[in-house]
Amino acid sequence: MPSIIETSQLTRNYGEICALKPLDLKVPEGEWLSVMGHSGSGKSTFMNLVGGLDRPSGGELMVGGENLLALSEDGLARFRREFVGIIFQQHHLVPYLTAVENVMMAQYFHSVPDESEAITALQRVGLGHRLKNRPGELSGGEQQRVCIARAIINSPKLLLGDEPTGNLDHKSTLMVMELLKELRAEVRFTVIMVTHNQEVAAWGDRTIYLDDGVLVREERVGQR
Amino acid sequence: MTSMAVRLMPHLLAWGAMLLLLARGCAGRRGTVAAAAGAGFIGGIVAAPAAARLLGTDASFDTAKIVLGAAFLVYCAVAVAALYGSGRSSAANWGERLTCSAPVAAAGAFFTGVAGGAVCGFRSLSGSVTTVCAAAAAGLLLLPLMLLVERRLPAAFVVSPASLVSGITSLLLFTSSSLLRLDLFSPLTMKVMKFSHDFVHQFFESMLIPDHLFFTARLWGFVGVLFSNAVGFWGALVVWLAPALLVICAVALEPLPAVAHLREGARRRKTIAAAIRAKRQRLAVPLLALAVFSCAVYQSKFPAVEYWDPKPIQVSASPAGEIFIPKKGEVDLEDGKLHKFLFKKGGTEARFFIVMTPAGGLTVVLDACSICKPDGYGQTEGTVICYYCKTLIPLDTVGRPGGCNPVPLPCALKADGVHIDGVTLVNRWVDTVQATARVGGEGK
Repeated sequence: MPSIIETSQLTRNYGEICALKPLDLKVPEGEWLSVMGHSGSGKSTFMNLVGGLDRPSGGELMVGGENLLALSEDGLARFRREFVGIIFQQHHLVPYLTAVENVMMAQYFHSVPDESEAITALQRVGLGHRLKNRPGELSGGEQQRVCIARAIINSPKLLLGDEPTGNLDHKSTLMVMELLKELRAEVRFTVIMVTHNQEVAAWGDRTIYLDDGVLVREERVGQR
Repeated sequence: MTSMAVRLMPHLLAWGAMLLLLARGCAGRRGTVAAAAGAGFIGGIVAAPAAARLLGTDASFDTAKIVLGAAFLVYCAVAVAALYGSGRSSAANWGERLTCSAPVAAAGAFFTGVAGGAVCGFRSLSGSVTTVCAAAAAGLLLLPLMLLVERRLPAAFVVSPASLVSGITSLLLFTSSSLLRLDLFSPLTMKVMKFSHDFVHQFFESMLIPDHLFFTARLWGFVGVLFSNAVGFWGALVVWLAPALLVICAVALEPLPAVAHLREGARRRKTIAAAIRAKRQRLAVPLLALAVFSCAVYQSKFPAVEYWDPKPIQVSASPAGEIFIPKKGEVDLEDGKLHKFLFKKGGTEARFFIVMTPAGGLTVVLDACSICKPDGYGQTEGTVICYYCKTLIPLDTVGRPGGCNPVPLPCALKADGVHIDGVTLVNRWVDTVQATARVGGEGK
């Protein structure tokens, strides 16, 4: 399986703080990679670099055949728009827009909005009855499902999750993970999920452990 | 020389913009188009003064005006065709086939060059041979420069065939509108006004609008609008801008690509978004053309022309009542400029001017015509202009009676100067001013 992500000696420094120390990693296409580690271990830094939200301080970073270091700001924006879908722990939904409008906003920044397609996406995540509700009128699990619909609406090749179940109870967590699994089986995107939760990490094909910006261990599902 | 260079600058800039559009619009034929346009420019800039010398300035300006008018009509036809074809998939193909065909592209570029060069030639009529040569050299120098600039333009700057015609025509009419005698908008205004007046008149004549009690004063007020000066301006503006608006509509109405066969929603939307973006980019040139057409209207309405308008020199009559103005006195009557004089008798102040016609003879006329308020005349570019109605009177016809021509004055032209009878002058002035005293308003 060809690699969708390839890093070589990838580093990220914030002033004198080295958030990510030289990292060599390959992620094959279609893999579900869980990234674990304690707070400040470099998980989110790694995810931000891979998602084109931040620029590395050194090394090489190829994502989907694109050298992210060589991309201009416009190029990075295009990359994020067309290649990446992101699910945040805090949802980051626009509070005064309805669920369907939140999804359409992602379409707008990608190309053109299409309401029927946005509705289909929300129906796909089980929110067909909550289309016109604003985020404040939805539960945490429902808000996260709107986020998932928003993240997948532009058919990304890479889905990034930054502790997507961090705010959810056990039942909602299971529902969200089940949904992601189903969608992945359907669309075959690559998932990189940052989490603290061992149980959530176990949904992936492989888990890597970061500690103080260093990759210290990795496990395949079968090894655990 | 410097002032002529400044005067030629806008024409050369417009010529540069035309080259840019030609190079981008006929991208596959840059070399052919550049060569044809360059040859045309040289031909035009040389032909204009030559034609003025051979045919006379009037005939040469009239011919140029006819050519520009024909170009505008062709543009109208292209705009209608573009709108007609905008809903069809093969719509753009005929235009693209034409712009890609070497003979058509070359002919179009040659015509553009001739027209652009001729306008520069007419502008530099009063200049020396050196000025014409310098203008020709500058025009040629712009060729490689604009080809280089064109290569640096973003790929998104797309010029469709209809947009190309739109841009070129707008620039041609803009550049020509700065020459009073090549301006098309003013005559168009007059034509529209005349059409409106004749139309309403014929309507009444055929009793289609009876003089009925139901026709209240308020309603007559609306009918009266059709006779106002504003009808000419606004009507002409509609005709002037209509083709550019049609081309804009044609681009805006182009259908989006069929995407039903694409399974992935994001790809479908992306295809549509790309088509919408391309359509917006194609709108840039027609929108710019609309702006240039509007600038041409402004230039026509408020021409930046410096009129030669000398202060009248007061003259007096001999005891026998004769006014004598020497050829080489306070002013040189044969210097080609209009010279104004003022004669006071009783309570009457009569103005007249003397000018040398292109034929070489001196002509003496009143500083007033028999139809307008006596606002007087100024001189510019081989013509005199009536300040009241802004009509241009070629110098060849000054001295002939009729229309807005200044009223001729009998005089005796002798070797030493001009002899005018004071009483005749005053009587003719009074008759003329009395006849035109009813005229109101501020002219057209």
